Amino acid sequence: MPWKLLLRNLLGHPLRNLLTLVSVALAVFLIVMLQAVTLGLANTVSAAASNRLLVQSAVSLFVDLPLAYQQKMAAVPGISAICKWQWFGGRYEQDKGGYFAQFGIDPDTFLPSYPEMTIQSGSYEEFQRNRTAAVVGASLASKYGWRLGQTVPITGTIFQRVDGQPWQFTIAAIYQSSSPAIDEQTLWFHYDYLRESVETGGATGPDGVGVYMLRLQPGADALAVQRDVDALFENGPQRVQTTTEAEFNRQFVSMLGDVPSLLRLVGGAVLFAIFFAVLNTMLMAGRERTRDLGVMKALGFGNAAVAGLLVAESLAVCGTGALLGIGLAELLEGPFQIATSSFLPNFAFDRDTLVLGAGLALATGLISGLVPGLRAVRLSPVVALREVG
Amino acid sequence: MAVAIQIRSVTKSYQRAGETLRVLDELDLDMAPATFYALMGPSGSGKTTLLNLLGGLDRADSGEVRFGGTDLQGLSGGELAAWRARNIGFVFQGFNLLPVLTARENVELPLLLQPLSASQRRDQAERALQLVGLGDRMAHKPRELSGGQEQRVAIARAIASDPEVILADEPTGDLDRTTADSVLSLLQRLNRELHKTILMVTHDPQAASYADQVIHLDKGKLGRIETNHPARS
Repeated sequence: MPWKLLLRNLLGHPLRNLLTLVSVALAVFLIVMLQAVTLGLANTVSAAASNRLLVQSAVSLFVDLPLAYQQKMAAVPGISAICKWQWFGGRYEQDKGGYFAQFGIDPDTFLPSYPEMTIQSGSYEEFQRNRTAAVVGASLASKYGWRLGQTVPITGTIFQRVDGQPWQFTIAAIYQSSSPAIDEQTLWFHYDYLRESVETGGATGPDGVGVYMLRLQPGADALAVQRDVDALFENGPQRVQTTTEAEFNRQFVSMLGDVPSLLRLVGGAVLFAIFFAVLNTMLMAGRERTRDLGVMKALGFGNAAVAGLLVAESLAVCGTGALLGIGLAELLEGPFQIATSSFLPNFAFDRDTLVLGAGLALATGLISGLVPGLRAVRLSPVVALREVG
Repeated sequence: MAVAIQIRSVTKSYQRAGETLRVLDELDLDMAPATFYALMGPSGSGKTTLLNLLGGLDRADSGEVRFGGTDLQGLSGGELAAWRARNIGFVFQGFNLLPVLTARENVELPLLLQPLSASQRRDQAERALQLVGLGDRMAHKPRELSGGQEQRVAIARAIASDPEVILADEPTGDLDRTTADSVLSLLQRLNRELHKTILMVTHDPQAASYADQVIHLDKGKLGRIETNHPARS
């Protein structure tokens, strides 16, 4: 293989090869990003715990369940703890364009049900004692520079205070998570603070509970518990649907539509477009070098050498593009994680994603090089030299 | 006489616009080693076709093309390519240097097919360029050279791997008279000093006068063979 000729050919059309290389880099970057989003969604679902069930309204996730259900469910065999979850949907006063989730929960049963969460600083007991206290994720605290003891003003959109002021939550603890099932971008506060404010007329908002989390006793039959809980409210007043945490997460993700399929479709379209761009470049290169390839054949270079020259050139462009794309993706992984942390907490590249990006680029390079390469194999040196002579 | 190249009953036809055009017709020719031949004839007489057959770039429809003891017709495509690399040096009318390579790299190109180290290739290429008088133009790309210099680089490339035979297709066709004479003198020197067998296709009688023998082709058949005495030097 005349490597010097390969290098000179690559540098012979710097602008064309650079544009092709940048196209490949951007395509790889985009494919890696899309795959990371798809994997992030899948990780959220797959990391769910098997000893937690979630009870929601059979009508919709947006319909609240009666408070009285908790006591009835507590009698179902196999349940060791119940925790209310209420979506708050407020806006942080200091960052109205930003977004993070806030939930009202039962402090006594919440943390013991989520062993993947650990308190990084502050005191969970302090959180339990103080009705207006909150626990926040480490990433969220870092994003806004929050410190322990700081008061966070949040304006309710579903639950609004009648005095028109924002709700005030005092940070009692900051948690870390060891599982993709729980992100570090959420603010948790006392459900009772919310309920009492509504009941005493200090705030307006719907009655009830968004979702009940049921922690199962060790060895409990999850299917039986699901069946028993659903049967308990079969005749109303509000029918429920009990699901595993994984299924709940899957339903939550699917509310966005079939995102993974959509992302794969976009990724496929990008790959398809870039394949033709690279193929076009290589066909042009092959055609321009008809004379050179004819000369090489006349000098005694075999078919493998002339075809290999074009394939290697294509692979070099696509391989370098892939490296650039992956490098760019690695460079932007951190900023992208921060930007998407509120709605896609598990966004990250794994080795397989990077290998996929590089593999697709190299496959594109191989096929795009083989097409003119095979043409070069069939090229007669007599014809090639006559075309220009 | 000792025979370097032997052609027996060689026929070659092409299909043009649905018609079969017989370019070489039962041609017989013997060529002696270390002889400078000019091949002349009107357009379409089969000169370039014969050159391509002798260089193993094309195959005859029938007949034998023997080079030493080797019957070129019996070689596969790959074997023919390897044979070309060892035995033939080509010089083309349009020079056909690779534009992205320097003069030295162009000359080194056929040496990549020889079992040589990088430094041996470099030395051999530089010797060839010095032999054609371009020792000071080694790092120049073809576009930085004159036509005559480009053809000298092409000749250096043709002799770099020390082939027995040099096939030149109208090597002075694109050159002015003075430059053409210097290129022809160079070919003649390669024949005289390095004992290369040279077959040069030309339309130009003055170019042919540099050769030892002039072979005339007409309508695919061998015509007269003239001997130049004394050959120009």
